[in-house]
Amino acid sequence: MALVEIKNLEAAVGGKPILKGIDLTINPGEVHAIMGPNGSGKSTLSSVLAGRETYTVTGGSVLFDGKDLLDLSPEERACEGLFMAFQYPVEIPGVTTSYFLKAAVNAIRKHHGQDELDAMDFLKMVKEKMALLEMDKTFLNRSVNEGFSGGEKKRNEIFQMAVLNPKFAILDETDSGLDIDALKIVANGVNALRSPERAILVVTHYQRLLDYIVPDFVHVLCDGRIVKSGGKELALELEKRGYAWLETAAA
Amino acid sequence: MTATTISPDNTAILSALGPSYGLPWLQQRRSDAMELFERIGLPPVTHEDWRLTNTAQIAKINFSAPGTGTPLTPEQLAGLCLKKLGAQQMVFVDGKFSPELSSPGGKVEILTIRQGMEKHADRVQRFLGREMPGQSNGFSAMNLAAFEDGAFIYLPPDQGDMGLVHLLWINASHDQPVVVHPRNLVIVGSNNQITLVQTYAGFSSHPAFCNAVTEMVVGKGAKVELIKLQRESDTAFHIANEAIHVHEHADVQSLCVNTGGHLVRNNMTVHLAEPFAQATLNGLTLAAGDQHIDNHTMLDHARENCPSHELYKHLLGGRAGAVFRGKILVRPDAQKTDSKQTSKTILLSDAAVMNSQPQLEIYADDVKCTHGSTTGPLDDEQLFYLRSRGVAAADAGALLTYAFARDVLLRIWHTGMREYLEEFVAAELHRLHLDQAES
Ligand SMILES: Nc1ncnc2c1ncn2[C@@H]1O[C@H](COP(=O)(O)OP(=O)(O)OP(=O)(O)O)[C@@H](O)[C@H]1O
Ligand SMILES: [Mg+2]
Repeated sequence: MALVEIKNLEAAVGGKPILKGIDLTINPGEVHAIMGPNGSGKSTLSSVLAGRETYTVTGGSVLFDGKDLLDLSPEERACEGLFMAFQYPVEIPGVTTSYFLKAAVNAIRKHHGQDELDAMDFLKMVKEKMALLEMDKTFLNRSVNEGFSGGEKKRNEIFQMAVLNPKFAILDETDSGLDIDALKIVANGVNALRSPERAILVVTHYQRLLDYIVPDFVHVLCDGRIVKSGGKELALELEKRGYAWLETAAA
Repeated sequence: MTATTISPDNTAILSALGPSYGLPWLQQRRSDAMELFERIGLPPVTHEDWRLTNTAQIAKINFSAPGTGTPLTPEQLAGLCLKKLGAQQMVFVDGKFSPELSSPGGKVEILTIRQGMEKHADRVQRFLGREMPGQSNGFSAMNLAAFEDGAFIYLPPDQGDMGLVHLLWINASHDQPVVVHPRNLVIVGSNNQITLVQTYAGFSSHPAFCNAVTEMVVGKGAKVELIKLQRESDTAFHIANEAIHVHEHADVQSLCVNTGGHLVRNNMTVHLAEPFAQATLNGLTLAAGDQHIDNHTMLDHARENCPSHELYKHLLGGRAGAVFRGKILVRPDAQKTDSKQTSKTILLSDAAVMNSQPQLEIYADDVKCTHGSTTGPLDDEQLFYLRSRGVAAADAGALLTYAFARDVLLRIWHTGMREYLEEFVAAELHRLHLDQAES
């Protein structure tokens, strides 16, 4: 069974149509990449899947692990194993990363009928993931994303993903703002999560990330539609040729 | 309509002068204040400073001096007591000093004003009504005319760290509306350090009217933390006039936490009277239902090189209304003033209303004064971020409001008080969220 099955998905913001009929099927174990020009709807697709209420779904359906995803609240989606790494993670002054993560981990555990993690086990688990992403120790006691550099914010997203252990992760331009070393560390973190049961959707503008996180499929989103799909070589072709040839095809 | 003049009901509030203990000067000040009050009455809404807080509601009620109320239960007392933090504590029930409930012993000599008039006659005569004279407004006039008792603290210079002092004012439950006029006078000699907490609490379902005045003088180089916790019953009227005179190189930080009261007005005036005096005024208001909570601050920069900071935060649900009006006066001699004022509000319901106004009056040219104010609902993006990680919507809201409030509490110098208030505020927020969920 497919893990994610998006059918003819349409979404609008403030009455303006952004997604104009997306079809995409993602099976367990697969990594898909979505590329496409600025404003084509990549973040909109990510946000709609995560449940952001600013966007109105105007048509289509999404099945996630056999469930009607669009029927679930954002927190239920997260508890069911969906994770989105934000393109622009928000700062939350006054809420420490450790407090926030504990709340998230325990909410998800509760959803699955598990007991809360005790403080020791939580810390042990979190420290392992911090080591994986080579994060500074002071980080847990800092407010979520507050005063973080662009790159630190992105790394924090992947760290959260590692802690929450989702079935399906959407990474919205996680590579932008990362230096080369950080890019490798982040890619490592993502690859560590790759497994036959999980799937990942990577949104990116650059082939570079795909050297580290090698996709099984690449799709091109133009003006709210997937206009072309292919294997990992499609990304290389896009790097050379840009999007113009596809945009004309879409129109 | 013309300005509200005194209705006959007003005289019921101020039916008699407070005791004069055979002191002619006190007798004189009281009768002057009474005369003044009878002339000006309660401030009308046409008065610029009282535009947003209508005191006519108070005038409509027939308050009397409290008789014996329902005795306080040990549970009620335990929840208000700070003895576990090692505080020297003075308790007043219905305006009267309660020796049984108090534990004033410790480093600081805490007296009632009445005792102070015997032991420190000259000081009390000199300072009582100096910082907060009757002329300030009808409420301060009424207090001076009628106050019965209060705390008098005098710290001789150079004592070092004097720990924690708690003044606890409780209104017991009564079967009719009652009025009390607490009055505190605190004189901190130079180079002392002290944390002074005032709690105002009430248990009556009938309106209680608390009309408090606190005057404080902070000597050279002293460091004073002043915390006020206003948790009156939700039918109460609470009006407080506080004034602090700050000498050279002294550092004063105040925090005013409001969770109770039906109609509340806090006037806080700080005179930065000498160079290098500094003041930080913080506030935290949690209100719901139809509570109205008004904080007016006045920072009077009289001399050069005085920094001042203000951070007032409000969390408003239901149909609650809050006012923050921060006046900063920079007099001609107050060069190099560095003053920053911030007011932040989260509206938890559509019907809650915030009114925030800075008021800068600057007569010196080499100064830095900034002010900012934000009011809005909980941040949508922050809420979504938390929810997208699995945290339920209600919990995400609670987490964000707590973080918003805690930001003020983290600034408290006294560790024990910081922890105490973190716990108190968390519980109050829980209540506020429950109220929201029900309405
Ligand atoms: N909240 C919003 N309000 C109004 N318009 C929006 C909103 N969100 C997205 N849009 C519009 O929808 C279109 C798609 O935006 P989206 O962020 O999905 O693009 P993107 O493909 O992620 O672009 P980029 O590569 O720049 O990140 C854009 O025209 C954008 O301006
Ligand atoms: Mg985007």
